[in-house]
Amino acid sequence: MNPRSRLRASDLLPVGSVGLRTRHLRAVLSVLGIGIGVASLVAVLGIAASSQADLLGRIDRLGTNLLTVVDGQSIGGTEVPLPMTAPVMIGQIDGVTAVAPTAELTTVHVYRHDLMPSVRTGGMSVRAADIALLSTLEGSLSAGGYLTAASERKPVAVLGSQAAQTLGDTPRVWISGHWFTVGGVLNPLPLAPEIDRSVLIGFAAAGAFYGHDGHASRIYVRSRTELVESVAAKLARTANPANPVGVRASRPSDALTARLEVARSGTGLFLGLGGVALLVGALGIANLMVIAVLERRTEIGLRRALGARRGHIAAQFLTESLLLAFLGGVCGVVLGVAATAIASLARDWTVTVPALAVWGGLGAALLIGALAGLYPATRAARLAPTDALRTT
Amino acid sequence: MKTPVLKLNSVRKVYPGSPPVASVDGVDLTVRSGELVAVVGPSGSGKSTLLHLMAALDRPTEGSVHIAGRDVARLSDPALAGIRAHHLGVVFQQFHLIESLSALENVAMGLLYRGLPAAARRARAAVALSRVGLDHRPRHRPNQLSGGERQRVAIARAIVGDPAVVLADEPTGNLDSQNGASILALLKDLNASGTALVIITHDRMVAEAMERRVELHDGRIVSDSDGAS
Repeated sequence: MNPRSRLRASDLLPVGSVGLRTRHLRAVLSVLGIGIGVASLVAVLGIAASSQADLLGRIDRLGTNLLTVVDGQSIGGTEVPLPMTAPVMIGQIDGVTAVAPTAELTTVHVYRHDLMPSVRTGGMSVRAADIALLSTLEGSLSAGGYLTAASERKPVAVLGSQAAQTLGDTPRVWISGHWFTVGGVLNPLPLAPEIDRSVLIGFAAAGAFYGHDGHASRIYVRSRTELVESVAAKLARTANPANPVGVRASRPSDALTARLEVARSGTGLFLGLGGVALLVGALGIANLMVIAVLERRTEIGLRRALGARRGHIAAQFLTESLLLAFLGGVCGVVLGVAATAIASLARDWTVTVPALAVWGGLGAALLIGALAGLYPATRAARLAPTDALRTT
Repeated sequence: MKTPVLKLNSVRKVYPGSPPVASVDGVDLTVRSGELVAVVGPSGSGKSTLLHLMAALDRPTEGSVHIAGRDVARLSDPALAGIRAHHLGVVFQQFHLIESLSALENVAMGLLYRGLPAAARRARAAVALSRVGLDHRPRHRPNQLSGGERQRVAIARAIVGDPAVVLADEPTGNLDSQNGASILALLKDLNASGTALVIITHDRMVAEAMERRVELHDGRIVSDSDGAS
């Protein structure tokens, strides 16, 4: 008979947890070390994912197929008129689904009432707007109605959301010498903040009351999503064939997309910091295991006397280290998800924890447990049984 | 003639140093099945080294150590571990119990490295605990047991696997005389039921109680009441 020393795989966990059951506080502290590291990684990834999901959601809701055309700006920052033909020409570009011209009336200002000093314009501008503007921007009203074919000839104004705040609750506004009835108030338009700051009147009214010639200065264009790029490329030449260089065609959703990029690049830095925390946790485990091997020399000697091979001793200490790291990983994932949930709910984001963060966090913890346990386990295994027993 | 379970032939164990120290120097000793042997000698006589060699925890520098018919000097570490797991039981002066495990679990540890299922280990551990008279305290932790009870647990752990030979290193060294006497009586009982037993001691009173006494001095056997080895 060839008697073999054998340790069942199912015994590895109870054997590997003997040390943890004896020294609770130390085990808890080491678990916490790894836990904090993993939690910071999971929270960084989770919060980043939640904020990105929120941005992506907003971009999706607002659409990336809105384009604006402006013919440069004057030195004073006001818009310059585009040729009369621009809206019609743009409407003929393949892929364009809606066109809404607006014109900033640079010499016209709006006041709450006729007694206001003329210099207090409140940063608002008065804008002639097409009746298709609301549908083109996919905007909505918080009160009243928008301009119609009938009302655009009359002294009726629709207030942008910020302009409405500035002017306050008022049934009519004073626009450079004429009273205008407030017909409606718009909800905020994240892709057209200049409309938020404007008071809109019809082109016909602008012509009738202020002699505006009908030139547009800013045109909003909706296109089919798949043709946005090609439409954008043609806009400048189509809007002002005589001088396309001055025309700016822009895509307002690009600003949000840029924020997404910024959020992504910031994540890298925080991940690095989380990695440092994890490294500190790893040193904690390695330290605990080295001390455990020193303190438990007699246990090692006893186990060898009872028939354990070197490999069994190494496996025991490696299991203990992996167990510590795994518990730390689980705590870390739970803490990280909780932190993500709290941070996201506080900002009204949907809580998004990527699977990569959960599995990556656990995987990183186990990897660290293996690395931190390798050296102590090897030391324990190399210990001669006679030396181990002699230390008492 | 009973079969030898432990056989040392011209065993020398030299520890390096200047000058090198021969802790065990030319020992011939045979322990047969069912025998009760006391190895007695003063501190530094090489008792511990001899125990380590007999327990297959160390290999001799010269000579051969046969345990259950196999020469440990030529065995690999895993094969030595196999010998320890299956053929040997060791009882230590300091008991060496695991504090976080119950008495029953400590005893079951004696079978851990045989690869037996946990349920089988516990069943055999319960039998061993009752053999040492502790079947009423299986769930107690070592710190809830008296010194004598702890040594009984350690003895149960050594005999749980029915080894060919049990080696006891100063088994009464940490006990008062009353507990020591009852532990010796227990060991003699176990021997009477067939287990070969080698007790290492510096205590002549303990040695006197054994049927065979081997006296060790400066690493050599100076007397052996058996005379046959």
